[in-house]
Amino acid sequence: MNEAGTDPTRESARPRDGRNVDPRLGELLGEGSAQRVRALDGPAAGRDRPAERAWDEPPADALAAPEGPSYYGQPVLKEPVWRWEIPAYFFVGGLAGASAVLGAAASLAGGEGTATLVRRCRLVAAGGAAASAVLLVRDLGRPARFLNMLRVFRPTSPMNMGTWVLTGFGALSGAAALPALVAGPRALERSAGVAAAGSAVLGLPLVGYTGVLLANTAVPVWQATRNTLPVLFAFSGAVSAGALFDLWRTPGPGGEMAHRFGLVAKGAELALSRALHREAAAVPRVERALRRGRGGFLLRTARGLLLASAVVDLLPERTWRRRHAASGALALLGTLALRFGVVAAGRASARDPHATFEPQRAGRGAAELARKEGARPRMPSPPGIDPTGKETAEHGAAP
Amino acid sequence: MQEMGFFTDTTLCIGCKACEVACKQWNQLPDDGFSLTGMSYDNTGALGASTWRHVAFVERTEPLPGQGSPRDGIEAGAGAFAELRPLGQPAPTSLLHDVAPTHLADVPAALGPSQQALGKFSWLMMSDVCKHCERAGCLEACPTGAILRTEFGSVYIQPDVCNGCGYCVSACPFGVVDRREDDGRAWKCTLCYDRLEGGMVPACAKACPTASIQFGPLEDLRERARTRVEQLRSRGVGGAHLYGESAQSQPGTEGLHAFFLLCDRPEVYGLPPDPVVPTAKIVASWRAMATGVLSLAALALGAVLSARRA
Repeated sequence: MNEAGTDPTRESARPRDGRNVDPRLGELLGEGSAQRVRALDGPAAGRDRPAERAWDEPPADALAAPEGPSYYGQPVLKEPVWRWEIPAYFFVGGLAGASAVLGAAASLAGGEGTATLVRRCRLVAAGGAAASAVLLVRDLGRPARFLNMLRVFRPTSPMNMGTWVLTGFGALSGAAALPALVAGPRALERSAGVAAAGSAVLGLPLVGYTGVLLANTAVPVWQATRNTLPVLFAFSGAVSAGALFDLWRTPGPGGEMAHRFGLVAKGAELALSRALHREAAAVPRVERALRRGRGGFLLRTARGLLLASAVVDLLPERTWRRRHAASGALALLGTLALRFGVVAAGRASARDPHATFEPQRAGRGAAELARKEGARPRMPSPPGIDPTGKETAEHGAAP
Repeated sequence: MQEMGFFTDTTLCIGCKACEVACKQWNQLPDDGFSLTGMSYDNTGALGASTWRHVAFVERTEPLPGQGSPRDGIEAGAGAFAELRPLGQPAPTSLLHDVAPTHLADVPAALGPSQQALGKFSWLMMSDVCKHCERAGCLEACPTGAILRTEFGSVYIQPDVCNGCGYCVSACPFGVVDRREDDGRAWKCTLCYDRLEGGMVPACAKACPTASIQFGPLEDLRERARTRVEQLRSRGVGGAHLYGESAQSQPGTEGLHAFFLLCDRPEVYGLPPDPVVPTAKIVASWRAMATGVLSLAALALGAVLSARRA
């Protein structure tokens, strides 16, 4: 014990952890005593994220809303804590999965013309899987414990399922990419073919499950679009794969094949992004997050870029290669903006208390499940308030 | 082991925050930095990684029987508090009775705007906590198995297993679980697992001076809560109802192990009116994914055919 510790006037010299437990008098044994404290307040403590908030509608908007009561316009839900790594992973993982699928298709088509595409697809799949793992580990609050994800096999957790899929996909796509990286015996190449087929099979859930991952949350806009999100993400992954090989100027029939694959997926993605709005619009307050703030801006940008890319694709056939490269770059940026837009919209949606209340009052909470099971929808409604949240005569006051 | 839980009777809460302090102190949680929210008397704000009890202060522009200012009593005479008059007693026992000046009651003075507003005003206070849902969204979403159900029926996050993926934060329909950024892990109320093991009552319930927070076997609590609602309704608090006391009243969570007695819509307290565990709806989403990726496979096969023809 140094002098500062014994002098009560210099107590503040001890690093403050906000517990105010004097180690000479008390032991830290409580359930929360292991909680690490670096900063007591402010952004580092995760209590406020002002930089992101500045983009979106002010909280006053929630207070002034005529929709109904709330607790001072405060959010009911916690905002997703994920940083940029997660939407970036959605993009990279989708790209890797769809590349594995495209690569398997190219080797099915066979012939000399597709050999370049097959090789590049395997490289992108393996590289994407490795990058995905890095992004996911980086985003963890305790990166050293990333292997804890594989402690259990839990079908109720899309994140757990996704980790298993990504693990298998990483191993298989790595094995498939080996001959492209090192010169090996023929047997290695044969086994690489089998591994590539396997990685294509796992690549399919890898591009789609991220939509389920978002839908399996309490965030209103993600939960409300649970039927569209997985399909949208699947096709967005396909678009990004097609676009990457456009940009990379893959020669021959393989390049054309990748281009057609991406072009059809592009049409599907544009249609699905409309469907996303339609599914959310069942409750207008929920759809708002897709139109306003940062999420709305990114989603509009994504649609604009995809549309521009499709227009470039359909231009008359001159300067073919450069045109493909331009369209590929636009589409890649578009699919990237889509992932970031969907995540940003989810954040805004979690912050808006009325986006939580309104779907539930409209019978889209648990009441929806009861209806599906054939039972009478039963909304918990206190006396004096009907199930939609409107007051009846006897509300509040004494009879 | 018997299932234990909380019954929080908000009509008894006086907003003293003894529960918040007791929780912080017992669990040795860091303080919140002593900042003011600037939005209300509530300077805690919300439940969080280091705040496992949170007292909400609701200011309502609606009267509530049993709450009022002495001025109301002067205006309305003893009738203002008639509903709460103890049985067998002729008049209210509050300070009202002592001050009731008859000359004022005869000639009521005109009320100013703020006095008029005060007459149509009431406080609602609620000590919020993790609900320890019968079907818990956080538990089902946790990819590491760090969240488990204890022998007391509570939902517990093991800090030595949690890897801070943040999925439970988004999966909780009540916004309870939070990740502390400088710690990296998710935290929430443990129902004082260490105290329960030692046969003690959770710190917040122990510290509550008005028995607003009641702890005990769930069956007993439910019984007690129903009796209390009847009592309040007979005294004129028409809006009194239980929030999440059973699977029937809250099918989305199959009932809460920490349920509440509220006097207004749940939204007023910042609680979702019909919360649902996200996993309950997820089968449709998996099905949509299957459709999506199969059509993607079909698209790939189409590309194969087009390449062969070319």
